[in-house]
Formats: sequence, C-alpha cells, structure tokens
Amino acid sequence: MKRIVYASLLVLSLGACTKNLDQVSPNSIVQSTFWKTDADFLSGLAATYKVFHDVNNGYYGVRGIETTNGRGDDFFIRNDVKDLYQLSTFTNNPTTGTPGGIFTGLYTGIFRCNQVIEQAPLSDIASDSKKQYVAEAQFLRGLNYFLLATNFGSVPIITKVPVQRADYFVSKSPEADVWAQAVSDLQAGAAGLPVSYPSAWVGRATKGAALGMLGKAYVYQKNWAEAEKVFKQLAQPDGTAQAPYTYALMANFEDNFSKGSDNNVESLFEIQNQNVGGSQPWAGENANEALGVTTAQEFAPTEVAGWFEVSPTDKLFNEFKLEKAVGGDYDARMYATLVWDYPGAMYYNKPFKDFKLVFGYSALIRKYQNWHDNNEGIWISDINEKVLRYADILLLYAETLTMQGRASEAMPLLNKVRTRAKLAALAAGLSTAQMMTEIRHQRMLEFFREGQRFYDLKRWGLLEQEIKNSDKVGKEFFAPKFAYFPIPQGELNTNPNITQNTGW
Amino acid sequence: MVTQSFVDNYLLANAYAAQAPLPVKGRVVGPNNESIPGATVVVKGTTLGTTSDESGNFSLNLPDGNATLVISSIGFATQEIAVNGRATLTISLQNDVKALNDVVVVGYGTQRREDVTGAISSIKAEDIRTQGSNTVQKSLQGRVAGVQIESSGGDPGSGVRVVIRGAGSLNNNNPLYIVDGVQVDNINNLQPTDIASFDVLKDASAAAIYGSRAANGVILITTKGGKKGENRLDFNAYYGVQQQAKKIDVLNASQWATVSNAAHDNAGLPRLDIAKNPETLGAGTDWQKEIYRTAPMQNYTLGASGGSDNFTYSLSGGYLDQQGIVKKTDYDRWNLRLKTDFTKGRVRIGETIILTREYWRGMAGGWGGQGGNPVGSALKMIPVFQVYDPTAVGGYGGAYGPVTNIANPVAQLNLEVPETRSTTAILNGFAEVSIVDGLKYRLNLGYTSTFGSYSDYAYPYTVGTLFNNADPDLAQNKSERNYFLQEHTLNYSKVFGKHNVQALVGYTYQDTKYNALSGSKSGMPNGIQVLDAGTTNIASGGYAYESVLLSYLGRLVYSYDNRYVVTGTFRRDGSSRFGPAYKYGNFPSVALAWNVVNESFFKPLEGVITNLKIRGSYGILGNQEIPDYRYVPLISANTNYVIGQTQQLWPGAIQTAFATPDIKWETSKTFDIGTDWGFLDNKLNLTADYFVRRNSDILLQVPIPLSSGASGTSPYINAGQITNKGIETALTYNNKVGEFNYQLTGTFTAIQNNVDFLGTGTQQISGGQPTHHGASATITQAGGPVGAFYLIKTAGIFNSQDEINAYNVDGKLVQPGAKPGDVKFVDANGDGQIDQNDRQYCGSPTPKFTYGFGSNASWRSFDLSFFFQGTYGNKIYNGAREDLESMSVEANYSPATLNAWTPDHHTDFPRAVINDPNLNAQTSDRFLESGSYLRLRTLQLGYTLSKGVLSAIKLNSCRFYISFDNLFTITKYTGFNPDLGRYNAGATGGGILDRGVDFPHVAYPLARTSLLGVQVSF
Repeated sequence: MKRIVYASLLVLSLGACTKNLDQVSPNSIVQSTFWKTDADFLSGLAATYKVFHDVNNGYYGVRGIETTNGRGDDFFIRNDVKDLYQLSTFTNNPTTGTPGGIFTGLYTGIFRCNQVIEQAPLSDIASDSKKQYVAEAQFLRGLNYFLLATNFGSVPIITKVPVQRADYFVSKSPEADVWAQAVSDLQAGAAGLPVSYPSAWVGRATKGAALGMLGKAYVYQKNWAEAEKVFKQLAQPDGTAQAPYTYALMANFEDNFSKGSDNNVESLFEIQNQNVGGSQPWAGENANEALGVTTAQEFAPTEVAGWFEVSPTDKLFNEFKLEKAVGGDYDARMYATLVWDYPGAMYYNKPFKDFKLVFGYSALIRKYQNWHDNNEGIWISDINEKVLRYADILLLYAETLTMQGRASEAMPLLNKVRTRAKLAALAAGLSTAQMMTEIRHQRMLEFFREGQRFYDLKRWGLLEQEIKNSDKVGKEFFAPKFAYFPIPQGELNTNPNITQNTGW
Repeated sequence: MVTQSFVDNYLLANAYAAQAPLPVKGRVVGPNNESIPGATVVVKGTTLGTTSDESGNFSLNLPDGNATLVISSIGFATQEIAVNGRATLTISLQNDVKALNDVVVVGYGTQRREDVTGAISSIKAEDIRTQGSNTVQKSLQGRVAGVQIESSGGDPGSGVRVVIRGAGSLNNNNPLYIVDGVQVDNINNLQPTDIASFDVLKDASAAAIYGSRAANGVILITTKGGKKGENRLDFNAYYGVQQQAKKIDVLNASQWATVSNAAHDNAGLPRLDIAKNPETLGAGTDWQKEIYRTAPMQNYTLGASGGSDNFTYSLSGGYLDQQGIVKKTDYDRWNLRLKTDFTKGRVRIGETIILTREYWRGMAGGWGGQGGNPVGSALKMIPVFQVYDPTAVGGYGGAYGPVTNIANPVAQLNLEVPETRSTTAILNGFAEVSIVDGLKYRLNLGYTSTFGSYSDYAYPYTVGTLFNNADPDLAQNKSERNYFLQEHTLNYSKVFGKHNVQALVGYTYQDTKYNALSGSKSGMPNGIQVLDAGTTNIASGGYAYESVLLSYLGRLVYSYDNRYVVTGTFRRDGSSRFGPAYKYGNFPSVALAWNVVNESFFKPLEGVITNLKIRGSYGILGNQEIPDYRYVPLISANTNYVIGQTQQLWPGAIQTAFATPDIKWETSKTFDIGTDWGFLDNKLNLTADYFVRRNSDILLQVPIPLSSGASGTSPYINAGQITNKGIETALTYNNKVGEFNYQLTGTFTAIQNNVDFLGTGTQQISGGQPTHHGASATITQAGGPVGAFYLIKTAGIFNSQDEINAYNVDGKLVQPGAKPGDVKFVDANGDGQIDQNDRQYCGSPTPKFTYGFGSNASWRSFDLSFFFQGTYGNKIYNGAREDLESMSVEANYSPATLNAWTPDHHTDFPRAVINDPNLNAQTSDRFLESGSYLRLRTLQLGYTLSKGVLSAIKLNSCRFYISFDNLFTITKYTGFNPDLGRYNAGATGGGILDRGVDFPHVAYPLARTSLLGVQVSF
C-alpha cells in the first residue's frame, strides 16, 4: 500500500512540469514588446523600404522592372519566363504571376507602413521623431498607392492593421479614391519630412521626394493647377532648383545609372541596392538575403553569361536617331542607353561585333547595366534604382505648363533636359501640340527602362496607337483592357469581397 | 482441429511393466520439420515437465507408460500425445492461426484479441515479405484495410505518404508512429527485418489513449525480441537491381526542330537558329538515357537472439545500400538494435535501443532555371544541345540562344553534390513493478536524438551560356532534434469470476527541442570542401524550437464472461502550441464489443463459425500539428535594407505575418461499427468496419488576400469541418491440401471525403500548382472532397474561323484570340469569356476505393508469394504533359505534338504556335487523367533447403528467394507513376491540397526491382 502512495505522490509531483507548456519563441521577439524605441521604428522603416527591391514582389526588383517596362512599345521580352512573355505579348490573364507579385509587394509595403503609422503615436519616443516616422511611412504608403492606382486602378484601400480576421477581406475603392489616398499620404509626407539627411541616413525619403511624387500624382490625374503649385516649390521657371532644394541634372546622363554615383544631386528618391547583407539575392527576407538586385544579370547578353531576357525595340532605336545632337553625333543619351554597331562600340570591354543580335533588333541595352565591367559578376548589381529624377520633375513641370496652354513657359525646362543630351535649344514659338509632341519624344528617350513609357502612353491615351505602330512582338494582341493589370487570381481566390477589373 | 502425426514410431508396446519411472526421449518439430527449441513438454495432470533444447530434443522420466504429454510453444497449437509405452517420439506441431492473433498490442499494453473493442489491424512479420522494400511502410501497401500508402517514386531512401481512413485534416495527415513505446517522426530508418508486428489503431476508441496526436490513427511497431530457451543467429542478405519502370517519350532533335519551326511560323516569328535545318539534326541527345541507369541495391542483416526464464535479448545489425536509378543518387543505412527484457521478482526491466546512420546523395534543384531537378530537366531539355563540352568550365555543354533556361541535367547531377547524413538514436527503457497482485506501476523513459547534417557543394561551371557559377560554393547545415518522453502508468488487471477488469491511469510528459545551424561560403580552392577555405559570399544562420505536450490518461476495460466488453478511455492533453486559454483539450471515447460466438445460443453453429464479434465505438481525438509559437504575432528580424551615402546594411525588423491568438485544438470525432468473423476453424477470417470520422476546427493555414500585405505566411486558423465516411474490409483464407499450404488475403477500402463547411473567408482554398507557371488545379470547398480538381473544360478544336465566330455570346466572341486549330474552352458561366470563373469540378484525387490482394503459398520446399494493389476512381493532373504538349515554350515537346492540327490535317491536338495567344496550354482538363491502377507490388519465389542438407551443413534453416517489386502496373495514366506522393514530401507528407497533382520538377520515377536473397538461421 505504501508503494501505491509513493507512486501517487510521484505522479502528482509531476504537475510541476505544466509551466513548461508556456513556450516562447527563442528566435524572435513578440509584437507586444516591439515598437518601444527609436531603434524599433527605424528597423520597422527599413523593413518597409526594402519591399521595393524584393526579388519577386518588389516594384523596383527584377520582376517589377520586367513587369512594368516589358509592356512598352520600346521593350521586348523573350520567351523564357512564361509569365513575362505573356505580359509583354498581351496574352496574360489573371493567373499570370508577376503582376500578382507587384500587387503583393505594394500591399506588403502598405501593411508595414500602417504598423509604423499606428504604433508611433502609442510609443514614448520623442514627439519630433514620432512625427517624422509617421510622415516617412505616409510617404511610402502614398507611393505604394500611387503605383497601385497606375497599375491596377481600382483596389482596396487599407490604412489600418487588421484586428480580426474579417479585416483581411477589403473590397475595392474607385480609382479616384485610391488617388485621393495617395495624394493625402504624399501631402502628409511632404509636411513632415526633412529636406535632407546627414550622410549616414541618405536614401530615406525627403520632403522633395514627397513633393515630387505628389506633383506626379496630380499630373496622372490631369490636375494641372495643383501639379503646378507643387512643382513650383521644387523648380524655378528657368529649371534651376527652388531653395531650399539643390536638385540639378547630372552633367553626364549616364551617371544616373552607374553604381559610382548613387544618391546624386539629380535624385529625388531612389531604391538603395548594394551587395551587403547575406550572399543570396533570392533568399527572401532573412539574413542570407543579399541586398543588391539581379536585374542587370538577367538583362545582360548571353556572351557575358547574362540571361538576355529583354531587348530594346527598333522603334526606340529609331526614335533616338530622329534628332542629331549639336555637332552631328547622336543624342548623348543614346550612348548611355543603348549599344549598337557604331565605330568603336564597346560593351563589357569587348567590341560590339563580339555580340550577336538574337532577336532581330538593332541594339542592346546599356542603361543600368554594369557594362564597363567584364560581366555581371555574381549576379548582384549595386546600381540604385531611380524612382524620381529631377529630369522627370522638369519634364512633368513642362507638361503641366503646356497643358495649361503655356508652352513657352515650358521651353526653358525642356531645354535643360535637351542641353544635357547635347541637343540644340528649342526654337521659340512651339504650339501646345508641338510642345507636347516634343515632351513625349523626350520622355521616351529620357526614361527608357525607368518604368515610365507604358504609363505615359496610358495617361496620354496613346497606348493602342503607339503599341500597334511599333515593332513590338505581340502588339497584335493589345486591347484596351491591357491598360490595367487584372486583379491577380491570388487575390480573387482569397478575398470574397474583391471584384475583377473591367474587361478582365 | 489439430492433426497429430507420428513420423517415427518405434513400437515397443508394453514391453515394460507400467510402474517404474520410464525415460522417454523426443524431438519437437514444426510443420516444415524444423526444430522447435524452447517448447514446453509437460506430463498431463502433473507438474513434471521440461523444455526442448536448441535442436528440439527433450528427455523426461515418465511416471508410467500410459502418460499423456502436453506440448506447447508460442505460435503453435498445443498438442496432447499419449505415450503408449514408446521410448522415442517425434512431435510435429502445427501453426496456430488463432494463436498468432491472440495478443494485440494496444496503447500502453496488450489485449487479448477477444477483448478488443476498437478497430485495430495487426500485421505480423510473417505476413509480409519485406525483403524487397527499403522502407517498412512500402511493404504494408494494400495490406491493411483503411490504410492508404502512396510511395513517392523511386528515389533511394524515399519516404511514403500514409493516410489512415482518408484525409481528415488539411495540414497533417500523418499517423502517429510508436516504436516499442517511443514516438518517432517516421519509421523509414527502421530495418524491415527487425519488426515483429504492426498494429494499426484506426478508430477513436483504439487510438484514444494517445489522445492528442492520434487523430490520424496510430501505428504501433513492436520490434523483435528474444524468446526463452532460444539461442539463434539469423543472417539475411539480398542483392538486386533497379530499373526505371516507365519512360516518358519526348521528341528527338530533328522532330523537335520540325515542331519548333512550325510553332514559330504559325506565330509569324523568326525560327530559332538551332532549329533551322531539322533534317540534319538527327536524333540528338537522349537526355533521359543520359541520366538513368540500372542501379544495384544490397542489404545485409545479422541478428542474435535468445534468452532464459528471466532474461531475453535480441541484437541485430544491418546495412543497406541502394543506389538510385538516376545516376549519382544514392542511399545507405547502417542499423544496430538491441532489445532486452529482464525479470527479477516483482521487477521487470527492459529497453530498446535503435541506432541508425543514414546517408543520402540527392540531386540538384533547378539552378534557378525552369527545368526543375534533373528528372524534370531531362524531359524538357532540347535534344539539339550536347551533354559535354570539354572547353567549358566544368566540362559540360548546355543550352544557348533564346531558349527557355533549362539546365543540362547531367551537369546538374555532376556539378552539384547535395548530401544529407542523419544519425538517429532511439532509446527507450522501462521499469515495471508488481505492487500487489494485478497492480503494476510502469515507468517508461524515452529519448530520441536525431543529428542531421547537410552539405551542398557546387563546382565552378559554365553550362551552356545560361548557367554559370564562377566560384565553388559550399553550404552546410547541422541540426539536432531531441525528444524526451516520460510516462508513468499504473495498470490494474483482475479477474473476479466471470468479470474481467483492466484499468490504466497515467501521466506523460513530452518535450521536443530542435536547433539548427547553417553556414555557407564561396571561393574555396579546388578540391577543398570546408567552409574555412571559403572567401566570399559568407553567410550563417541558426534557429531553435521547443514544444511540450503533457497528458493525463485513463482507460477502463471491463469484460463479462468473455461475451461483453466495454472500454472507456479518457485523455487530457496540454500543448505549448496554443495560447494560455486554449492549451488543454479533453479526449474521451467509449467502445462496446459483443463476442457472439461465446453465447450459449451460438453453440449449434460452432462448427462453422468459430469467431463472431460485433464492435462499436465513438470517441474524440485531437490534433495540434502546427508549427510552434503561432498564437502570438512575432517580429521578423533581418528584413534588411541599405542606407547612407556609403551604402551600409540597415537592419530591419517588423511584423510580417498575422497570428491567431485564439487558435485551438482540432478535434476528430469518429464513430465506428465493425465485425470480425471466423469460419471453419478460422480458416476463413473476415473483418469489416464502417466508420464516420468528422474533423472539426481543422487547423489550416488558409491563404489570406494578397492585399493583406502578409499573404506570404498565412495564419493558422480553425478552418472548418471535414467528414470521411467509409467501409473497410479484410479477408484471409488459410488452407492446406496435401503438402500444399496457402493463404489468400484481400483488403478493400472505400472512403468518401467531404468538406462540410469552411470558415475561411472565401470558403474556397486553391492549391495544386502543376507546372512552373501553371494556374492552380484544385479547389477545396464545402460540398466537395479535399483537393478536388476544378478546371476549365475543353471542347475539342476549332476547325475553322466559322466555328470560332459561331462561338459567341450576344455577338461577342468567347475566344477572340483563337485561330483555327486552337482549343475550344467551355464558357461554363456563360459570361462570354474564358477565365478562372469557368473552372468546373472534374474529379477527385481521392480514390473511390483502394484494394490489395495476394497470396502466400508453399509446397514442399518451395514457397511463393505475390501481392497486387491498386486504386480506382481517382484523377491525376499530369503537369509534365502541360509542359511537354504546350509548344509555347522553347523547350522539348511530347511526341503528341507531331500530330498537331494543321489546316490540311485536322486532328484533335491543337496547332503549334509559340506565342499561344489562345492559351491552349493553360491549366485545363486537357491534362487531367485517370489515376486508377493495378500493380503487381511484389512477387517472390523461395526455396528452403531440406532437413537432410541442413544437418549436413549444420544450419537450422536456409531459404533462398528471388523477388520482384513493381513488376508491372496496369494504368491509363501516362506519367511516370500513378502512385504519386511528391518527391520532397518525405515522411512528413506533402500538402494534401496538392495530392493528385503530378509536378514534374520534383519527380523521381518509380523503380522496378529484382533481387536475389538468402535467409539463414544457425
């Protein structure tokens, strides 16, 4: 009997182990202990910026660059990655993966922005810091909504962190409301952000970046009056920067697209790419992730071990040849953008004749490539991806003025861009229509591979015309619905409150 | 019932007077004349007795010449023999079918088969010929009613997917494995010859004692122990070869170029340079031939076992080497196992120690391209390209030009070396004390430690122009998983007249700790494969997990007069995986059984029906198989960015996923009614069960909207309810005609799987990606089975523009992009366009029924066994065909494309067009196939040496055999293997939503195995 008692006592004493049922992760801190210090908020902001260059979902990562440029009349994508080929040939549908990737990336950014915006007021950090972190997150959220509006049109607007499961399933708002959200976020950003940062923090959003994106958002909505008010704050009528800003065009166009001149004077906002962190650009969000981008490798020709996924079309090549620079040479930007069979043409330190033009087009791509090196090295490019350059501000400002019937006021702004390209100054007296033609021409040349062409054509109402008159493969399949991406099937499959875009 | 036989019969009848002590000698043998050591020989009605020695011999002094001897031995029918004055006897014992089934292993103990109230299937080692299988479960395929086992192809050392009674859950359907009392993650590392029995606990009543983790059923494995009086050595060896069971045909170089040119011409796009002159290209490279081989496998085991009254032991060791049918792939395994049992007075102590060392040489993934692993690449790689290029770094050729970036599979196999090593120790010890009569306390301590090590070395290479690796890379990781089990049980067992009571109470504590460490570098000097030598691309990482489960359990079995049995079980489990308010779950069950055969009114039928039992049970089980720490939102570190004019790392951290704080136990409620029949001296046995199993609050990571911003890792929720209903039957027939002994067995299982409701938001869960870029093929939603195929249906080919024009809704063409020769898709919702809303139900990946049948037979020295197994009524989505028949990618194609539609040659196969504007190649019912099959799983022929030969060479027994696995499969499925599984699924199983989707990038074709073996006992 004694033994039974002992045994029972032994069993009962084991109750002490119940405390081991409370296990906490040894790998991460929990959300409730985060968002307390400045360091927490700065980490949160880093995590928010970084989505932009994510390899799959980043709008300015490799798939994003391919997705946003690949549909332009200046771009060809080869039949390798099926999703991209379908996109560029207008045979994509809602299941095509890459638009789903950028949709996911943009909303990932928004979720992270919302965390900062909600948590900062609840924390005990200094009120100036609070204000700035919220402004920074609002700028980023505004940029994400800007990109959602241009790419998808009508989408869900989410400005809070979900509290319960029902909050995950948000229905769409009209495109105008999405624009309004972008505008209000960018306004808040402009109000709360500093003009500049100390050297260690260069790369974060500034007041100028927020104003620039705000002005651009007005241009996309054809709200010329508001756009003008914003651009006035950034640039003087002659094209020089308005104090306190110090923006200017880089003397050498190519310096905008090479690793040695990141964060230069022409840049209002750019995505920071550098081979720091881990060693793998495809690792996802963890310590192994290398923080450069693989875009240059994917675009490089096969002769230097690239995957030659894209090619400029001859429409672009010929557009460059339309106007010669002062002195009879081609537009200076042509040499920075393309390489073709011209005397002494070098590419990756080899004569151009060592490269084969495999798609029947006349030129290969130099812009954003590390083409002064022998090859693209270990896949990871350090070149920062420009989101907004001062040249864009000048041309948007010029367009804003022209569209209000003040083409002559646009002239000095345009001439800034032309002069840098070594083109002669414009003759006076251009009509509105002539000035707009010039602006379109300049934008096509200036911003090749900068994610602008397709969206410019769209807002000008010229998509169908310009794609159909180009030598783009798949142009015959273009239809008006391709102006917007469809809502991705991944969203339709998971969100009962969502509806497909018109035409899809 | 028992045949008495006298082989020797020296008639010395009544030669002696009947009173003096009378010596008698004898020998006890089995049905095949083999010696039976350790048999008990007792003079009836006395305490006089002895046991037979190693050779089966015994001697005894009899009180008189008319004595009767009672001879018994485990596994044989007890025999009584009148001595009738003889001095020398040979007693031949017969196998006792009933005896084999007498004891059933249940959780925390054993039960007489008569007392079992739950649905339990038992398989003894004797019933299966495991020699041809590298893992244990494969040998069970088709043998246990209600248990579906899918092999995952032919890769060496691969696991299987085991589903007991249908997919009840959506996250984890793996049964719980208990080896000699210790829970293990999988049993792939066990040596099949070490196993004495499997007991599969299928219904809630049987499994209830394991409460929390038993919702998917329990497989109890008992390894072989020694026997009293035995002293033997067993040696087994086999050597065999494996060949690819099925090849998928693809085009040769000249054929490929012809199709490629047609596809470019039809799209109005320039032809590929490499395809310009089809007639000059010839056959080109047969990539499949380049990567497959006939692969040897060999296995050796040596065991020693024996024991005395108070001590038994069994020691065994084994070695298996299985090369894969894909070159370079390999698996080997070393095993050592010790099991002893020691009794002294009231105390019994025992242990099982299983040590395993395993090695896998795997194959590379897709190298960032679109071919997948070498098996996938070999299908899609264009045959124009060359295998070798002596001028290239690494020595291999590959793709160049504007083609899809698929790697040379031979280069993949040779230039990247992924190796996994795993060392496992399963230690289990117990001490049992008899406190008072019928009451026992047992302490069971288990410790399982798995040390895993992975190394992946990539040589520098340039393979074609699309794949290159400048510096050698090395990635290594080490992981350690320790599982600790502590169990205290009190067992009480008492017979009061006709009342029989068994009671059990217990407490168990389980703790699992895991940690992993990884590192990688590049730039080692040639020939050096350690991280210290690396110079660039430096990365490291590590993480850890811990989970705890503690439980209180109780069971009461009461039987009256061997006629009525009632079992009640209760278990309360606490899990560290749930939040404070949701940690505990209570899991009760009750079961009844009626042994009709023991009723007096049944006596008249006794001669015909020797066993009849009716059982019924109802119970609740739990499931907590989700990752740790999922009930609180966490902050993800290393969401890093770059900052500053000097472009430094900016460490990031933020919440990236949602959590469900009120996540709780998934429960599974099972109702089971079953019956067991035995006819004609139990020559014919039948077991049949009907069950309804309802899983509620299923734990599932339901995909959340992309717009939530955290769709990468969806939170686990309690998502809905799934019901499986089914019947399962097993039939066995044993008979003997002269010297011909045979056994016929068959199992049949039909399970209907239905999702009752989902509380997931969309009420639909998509899954089943069939190709690198394909749209999902399955939808799980209320009213249908889990992972049902929902696909856009096709309706033939448009033969003319008129047909395309005629296909319109209110004048708007349904397929405006179509040209003659394109596929006509069914606009199911009639909205005038083809999109994902037109997907319709096209079938289920769950078979309507599964079955197995076979036979074991022997005649004189020969034995033969074979086993067939199959499924009926399931569908498979053939992802390889979606790729190979697309003609929209710059890769190799299927021979079916040679028959593509042209204006002059109308066929039912769409036209070749490289930009595929009509999306002929999209995910649709074109690529859905019947998955039914019938397979000759094993065929084995054996020969046992005769007694005369054996004694001459001093062996106890010796058997030679030849065995074949997967000799043939009858199926309409055109992929490698209708018995899918997914390559990386391993023992933990792949996603259940992908179950019927054949994804070629991760495939490994099934092997056909032929082997020769020998089993020797000394």
